[in-house]
Amino acid sequence: MTARLDPVLIEVLWSRVLSVVNEQQVALQRTAFSTIVRETQDLACGVFDTHGRMMAQSLTGTPGHINAMATGLRHFLHEYPPGSLQPGDVLITNDPWMTAGQINDITVVTPVFKNGREVAYFANTCHAADIGGRILSAEAREVYEEGLRIPIMKLYDQGKINQDLISIVRANVRTPDETVGDLYAQTSCNDVGARALLGFMDEFDLDTVDPLSDEIITRSEEAMREAIREIPNGVHRHETWSDGFEEPILIRATVTIEDQDVFIDFAGSSPESARGINVVFNYTHAYASFAMKAAVSPDIPHNDGAFRPVHVSAPPGSILNCLEPAAVASRHLIGHFLPGVVFGALAEALPDRLMAPGADPIWISIWRGRPPGSDDRFTFSLFQCGGAGARASKDGLNTTGFPSGVAGVPAESLETLTSLVQHRRELRTDSGGIGRFRGGLGQLTEMSCRTDQDWTVSAMVDRISHPPEGLLGAGPGAAGEFKIDGTKEGEPKRLLVLKPATKVQLNLPGGGGYGDPFTRDPEAVLEDVIEGYVSIEAARRDYGVVVEYLGKDDQLVRLPHHYRLDREATHRLRTLK
Amino acid sequence: MRVGVDIGGTFTDLMLWDENGRAWIGKVLTTADPSAGVEEVLRQTLAKLQRQANSIRHLVHGTTLVTNAIIERKGASTALITSAGFRDSIEIGREHRYELYDLDLEHPKPLVHRHLRFSVPERTWADGTQDVELDEEHIARLVRELSDAGIEAVAVCFLHSYANPDSEARARAVIEDTVPGLQVSLSSEVVPEIGEFERASTTIANVYVRPLVESYLNGLRSRLEQIGFEGRLFIMLSSGGVATFDTCVRYPIRLLESGPAAGALAAASVGQDLGRNSLLSFDMGGTTAKLCVVDDGEPLVTHDFEVDRRYRFKKGSGLPVRVPVIEMIEIGAGGGSIARIDSLGLLKVGPESAGADPGPVCYARGGRAPTVTDADLVLGYLDPDYFLGGEMKLDVAAAEAALAESIGDGLGMSVPEAAWGVHQVVNEAMANAARVHVVERGRNPRGLPVVAFGGAGPVHGYGVAELLGCPELVLPYGAGVASAQGLLVAPLAFDFVRSYYGRLDQMDWDEVNRIFEAMEGKGTALLADSGAGPEQINHTRTADIRYVGQGHTIRVPIPDGILSDLRRQAIYEEFDRVYRHLYGREGPPVGLEALTWRVVSRGPRPGRAATPHPGEGSAGNAEAARKGERPAFFGSGGGYVLTPVYDRYRLVPGSSLTGPAIIEERESTAVIGKGGRVRVDERLNIVVTLGGGT
Repeated sequence: MTARLDPVLIEVLWSRVLSVVNEQQVALQRTAFSTIVRETQDLACGVFDTHGRMMAQSLTGTPGHINAMATGLRHFLHEYPPGSLQPGDVLITNDPWMTAGQINDITVVTPVFKNGREVAYFANTCHAADIGGRILSAEAREVYEEGLRIPIMKLYDQGKINQDLISIVRANVRTPDETVGDLYAQTSCNDVGARALLGFMDEFDLDTVDPLSDEIITRSEEAMREAIREIPNGVHRHETWSDGFEEPILIRATVTIEDQDVFIDFAGSSPESARGINVVFNYTHAYASFAMKAAVSPDIPHNDGAFRPVHVSAPPGSILNCLEPAAVASRHLIGHFLPGVVFGALAEALPDRLMAPGADPIWISIWRGRPPGSDDRFTFSLFQCGGAGARASKDGLNTTGFPSGVAGVPAESLETLTSLVQHRRELRTDSGGIGRFRGGLGQLTEMSCRTDQDWTVSAMVDRISHPPEGLLGAGPGAAGEFKIDGTKEGEPKRLLVLKPATKVQLNLPGGGGYGDPFTRDPEAVLEDVIEGYVSIEAARRDYGVVVEYLGKDDQLVRLPHHYRLDREATHRLRTLK
Repeated sequence: MRVGVDIGGTFTDLMLWDENGRAWIGKVLTTADPSAGVEEVLRQTLAKLQRQANSIRHLVHGTTLVTNAIIERKGASTALITSAGFRDSIEIGREHRYELYDLDLEHPKPLVHRHLRFSVPERTWADGTQDVELDEEHIARLVRELSDAGIEAVAVCFLHSYANPDSEARARAVIEDTVPGLQVSLSSEVVPEIGEFERASTTIANVYVRPLVESYLNGLRSRLEQIGFEGRLFIMLSSGGVATFDTCVRYPIRLLESGPAAGALAAASVGQDLGRNSLLSFDMGGTTAKLCVVDDGEPLVTHDFEVDRRYRFKKGSGLPVRVPVIEMIEIGAGGGSIARIDSLGLLKVGPESAGADPGPVCYARGGRAPTVTDADLVLGYLDPDYFLGGEMKLDVAAAEAALAESIGDGLGMSVPEAAWGVHQVVNEAMANAARVHVVERGRNPRGLPVVAFGGAGPVHGYGVAELLGCPELVLPYGAGVASAQGLLVAPLAFDFVRSYYGRLDQMDWDEVNRIFEAMEGKGTALLADSGAGPEQINHTRTADIRYVGQGHTIRVPIPDGILSDLRRQAIYEEFDRVYRHLYGREGPPVGLEALTWRVVSRGPRPGRAATPHPGEGSAGNAEAARKGERPAFFGSGGGYVLTPVYDRYRLVPGSSLTGPAIIEERESTAVIGKGGRVRVDERLNIVVTLGGGT
């Protein structure tokens, strides 16, 4: 580093680092094989300094991946400390305890060399199409059943691919071309980042990026502390229930604000489950710190410094800090609850800023079957989102994931690539939790398969027995429904074998509401009725708003003027309460 | 004579090429009824030239009407009809959170309210098989009610209609029978492409703006006829082609936004004149900078566009529109972009903008936050007495005070240091955005000349080109009317698309041949109607192809003529070539699958650009164009340097000079860094070979 690091130079260098990471992500997204990575952005990219501290992350990706990758890099450096690697070496692991908490998530790390010395590391994590073992489900009792576990090792040794590892992977997975293809994509995107970083170091005549990293990390940490100082000191608690696997799981958070530090402790949460919904501590840390940052300082860049003031703990052996060899494949089912629990705890301390719990875990269902008269088997992962929680000053978003940013799959894509048929995908009336601000709506979906043979589904779904609660006097979102042929309850988180004519209903939960529903603007309720978000009956019962339908019963087109808001009756009903 | 008229937010610009190869410029303020401004600027220019409207052979028009109608929600009252169970596809969208940390996130509001979205019994499968026949009685009853309710337009989007359009065609027949005059758009016609959300969104937008476009174009046509125009009227599409009135009324969504596209076309044409087929078009205005890669003489085109973004610069926050659009990135960096210190104590510029009102502090119209223009003024790049040709005085002291207060004091920097910081940070932001954009398209910015225009483009072009390592900077003559110029070089062209899925090794080539034949037949008919002779029409085929199971497709050229298994190898080879070009490596040994097939049909290319009307001066060398000198700030090492100032209008072909230099014209000021070698070409473009550094 030749020049003094003034605030302008730092900004210039820093924005260049961000652009480098975005180049890396673009490369990964465009060359990855598994549809999950491309269409649902189930990935993360980042650049790290020589101490293994995350300097910058790419724009999109899931918090579970990004933050877990950030903590995970330390394990790589422990195994291969600076000085032990050569140019052309590339490291890999999918060890859940070291990285993103699930055996499908493979992390690839590439050291960058300048003048024979490591100057940075590029890393990325993405979700493999398949990693062997059971089809992604929560049924396993031990991690060994969940697929091929790769300890931290070299994927490339001085530019030469580890052919033994590739052969083992190919022999163990259902989709060898895609899974191995993604490893190539993961490697080459790190190279793209490395090339860009080296070019930028040459341009600015830098031998190291560590001083820049120090500046950014220190400044981010200070800004985060400053934001925390604005919250009054105090101890806040919240708890929520997940359906769990065999029994419900309690998630309890105690959030302590102490000057410029936040302590998030999950003591009191359920113990480890016998099934694959356990969360490794990395992942717990990832979502808890994500929540804190979204709550207090969304603008501060996400790097090592932004985590430092947030101290997360969970008792070893608990559901949020599971120990080997616990099964972990569906850890997101629990992990995605964490931001909602943290927000719930902070709701009173930050009354005008937060969001009620929503559907929380994204619904992932894995479908396998064969087209009629064919042995060509398909495997398809369907991602679906329920309603998000209402905000302190806005309704919740309909069918939008939170905390995960993954996207859904068009019906036309899934029907083109498989013989599945989606018969319905509609907003679910009255599913948004009632409140001054209404929770987002879930969706009603129905699937079948054009086949003459048995087919299967493994539905990682939740909030069927425990809908998302409302905040500050609001009501819960509607519970999810997983049904077979409209009536029979489907068993979530297990592999179900289905007959050719079977139809499966996946009806996603709505988000929790925010504030007292009787204080919701009657005009907003009227509009909800006109748009079919809320039924006339629910408007009266849940909001105390009387709306009359003036049109004919069999009329298809129902316009705003076919409804009348009865202000007087509304007033009476609301005062009565 | 050929005339281009482009309507922008503030000005309506005209460029006229006469029979002698001369170019003339006109400019008026944009009017409430934009066609009035078109008439006005035409009248003015014709009067100046003492010519009649009947000597105009071609008039090409560009407008922002469609984008504005969507953003302001001023289109027709529109209903959507879908297959049973899918009326919410436009609201459910991709279920994606485009910004992870923002709890206040919002999605764009669909153009059709939920109470006007209807499913009807109908179902077609992915292979085109009809599972449930369209219930014609139901749809007849529905549109009768819609018509009674005063609904003006209907979009029909059934699942997999790109594979089998029969149900949609039947729906249209029923609708037209039941309610003649109701506007109808079918998704299988507007955009027969896989993806029900994007296809429905595009089809709705198309029919939503149609009545407006039709009445505007009718109005424009009669105005033009009234002043004696007898030539052909063409409208610019966002793809960079032009089309006739009739085509635009059928596919109005293709008009979307022509100004920026025309600017990029103008840059491409300037490049071609100079023998530069690949370049970076850089258009920096008051609130944003737009960058576009030109390859092989053509701006790159994307089919993945969004309008009405909730977060202007965030992908995913707008309504998707699947039409061909010249591909640009737009970032929040313009003359009005505000500089501030962020929570990390670092200097940030934009995307917040002071806009034109109150504008930068130096405009003295009440702006308090220092902007890029304020910094440029303090650095000596702008002349406080010659802004917009001297129409507006700039307040240097106020700009200095604002920079000191908002930036310098907080960061412990002098005013010039703060101003230089703002200039550097905004240049860096634009260069970074450009770099990621260029790299994403498999190109290397280092080899690309930059063509800079827009009010602030020439001020920042040199710095951005330097950061990107570009060899050359071109500042076209008439930077203030670049879009109008672009209209004149746009070819007659139209794009067609059809999704048809298959693995290349199992492809039904007969079907693919039928698809291409149908698209090319439509293209030929459409262009012939527009006056192109059959020998002047050519078709370019591409397909969206990917590795089996991979998510992302790449666009691959497809050979002309009859396709068969025998020619499959040629497609594999093209795919490999494009793949290597984009990603710099071989792909894995996996089969290929095609999703979507495309044709661009083009008519003749208009003639070369005209030469500008000669400048006001007539001196033979640069010295004669020198109008003075002033201190300007170059780089942290140099500080203020007494820098010569030239009058662009007195720089004639063959003049040359070396930076540092400032070259002033009415709408902009070019800043040439130290060592930059400037020459003026015969079309009065300023061509700068970049020097060794600041």
